[in-house]
Amino acid sequence: MGHMAAIFNQTGRNLKQTWGTQIMTLFTVSLSVLIFSFFFLVYLNIMRGGEKLQDDLRIIVYLDNEIVPAMQAQMEKKIREFTTVEKVVYISKDQAFKRLEGQLGADRDVLAGLGSDFLPPSIEVYPQKNLSSLTQIKELSEYLATLPGTSKVQYGQSWLERFGYFTKLLRLIVLSSGGLLILTTTFIVSYTIRLTVAARHDELEALRLLGAHSFYIQGPLILEGLLQGLLGSLFGLILLYSLYQWITTRFSGPGFLNFLDFTFFSPLISVLILLTGTLLCVGGSLLSIRKALRI
Amino acid sequence: MSDANLDNIDLNNFTRPMVVAVRVSKVYIPDIVALKDVSLTVNKGEMVFLTGMSGAGKTTMLKLICAIEKPTKGLIEVAEQDLTKISQTGLQQLRQKIGVAYQDFKLLPKLTVFENIAMPMEIIYQNSVTIHNRVDELLEILGIPDKKNIPIGKLSRGEQQRVAIARAAANAPPLLLADEPTGNLDADSTERVMDLFHHLHGAGTTLIIATHDESIIQRDLHRILDLKQGELILNSDPRDNLANYRQGI
Repeated sequence: MGHMAAIFNQTGRNLKQTWGTQIMTLFTVSLSVLIFSFFFLVYLNIMRGGEKLQDDLRIIVYLDNEIVPAMQAQMEKKIREFTTVEKVVYISKDQAFKRLEGQLGADRDVLAGLGSDFLPPSIEVYPQKNLSSLTQIKELSEYLATLPGTSKVQYGQSWLERFGYFTKLLRLIVLSSGGLLILTTTFIVSYTIRLTVAARHDELEALRLLGAHSFYIQGPLILEGLLQGLLGSLFGLILLYSLYQWITTRFSGPGFLNFLDFTFFSPLISVLILLTGTLLCVGGSLLSIRKALRI
Repeated sequence: MSDANLDNIDLNNFTRPMVVAVRVSKVYIPDIVALKDVSLTVNKGEMVFLTGMSGAGKTTMLKLICAIEKPTKGLIEVAEQDLTKISQTGLQQLRQKIGVAYQDFKLLPKLTVFENIAMPMEIIYQNSVTIHNRVDELLEILGIPDKKNIPIGKLSRGEQQRVAIARAAANAPPLLLADEPTGNLDADSTERVMDLFHHLHGAGTTLIIATHDESIIQRDLHRILDLKQGELILNSDPRDNLANYRQGI
């Protein structure tokens, strides 16, 4: 019998002897992975959604008066010195009027008699399309308000703040569920292995008396943890994928999910979740073996 | 070392001893003396009987030889390895070469006869066919071929004892220790067990059999090491073992 065949043989025997506990452990690991990966999936999609929303995001700095090109360049320089931005566009009174006309389309008649200079000139600042810039928009707008000639600074302040709070909350939930995943998987697997060791106390003693190598004794217990982690994580992800399919089918059409373009984990992230779950269970297993066998 | 103790070491065969004990004492807490200044050698390929009344120290001696216990004092060497200084890996390797039939069997009641006997062979990664053949052979010799797939818990004491002996003999180890191997057996089973021991002995295995069963001592011309209250009182010549044994007792 080869080394690995003997280890598999022993593991099979262990699993048969403690199948009830094994199923409970598998269930707990699956549930932990499901909870964590659910929130992680929501978080990733919200973040991705946030990035899309930023395509339209800009800060409008209304100016008291038109400024000359040299002044425009100076203001742009000051803005770029303060933070990195995508682009800075100057909109004169005339350009603003034309834009409004374009937006009104057939209703442009309402502007008749108003003259083309009633709109204030402005500078449009397009922040960088990354998430950290979202949190910096408030700071940037406060800075822009201090620039000479500025009459008003406008952006989707309340929406951005709510979005910021929401992402912070999600991040907290993801971190908490990640912590929960680590605690439950490590603890539960370590506890199960300890039960296995206790259930097999006589057998392990007999093995030691017969001269079994440490690997022969520890190998099946480590493999047990590995299988629990791998299968538990796999079941967790399969459950999540089923849930994802159900939700996307049920809520297809215009709505929240379409707005976010909700997608599942990439193969790389799925593999990383599987690996993490498996490694945590192997860790729990090793922890328990060292304690129980005092090796 | 005193002269009396040196006398107990077989100097003629000192070049190739399997077991050497020099002034070995074992004291259990608080002050129970199990062995006192015991010196002996057992040569490679030799078969010896370790005799004595209950509590004489036979089981303790066997436990020291297979390194389940450590001596309080003295030196024990098995296959030229000092058991008081042996590493964990060295101990594992040594134990693979010692078959032990324990007095309390140390079998696993939930596992079948086959699984119990297969354990020492699985540990050294024997292939499945070899394991099955060897288990069948041993069960045949010991007269319990029909018990192969029965859990140990459902066997009689005598049958369990034979399984314990089969497990000890499974790898045809260089050294086999048997503690009261015929204690629960009828005459026929005793005969089968002794046949197995003789077969192993013929193949070169060193056997140390702790017993007070006079019937198995009488039939063989093997050296007797007789213990009394933890002291070695007789190290007989194989040629007149029975007479010495009777006198010793």
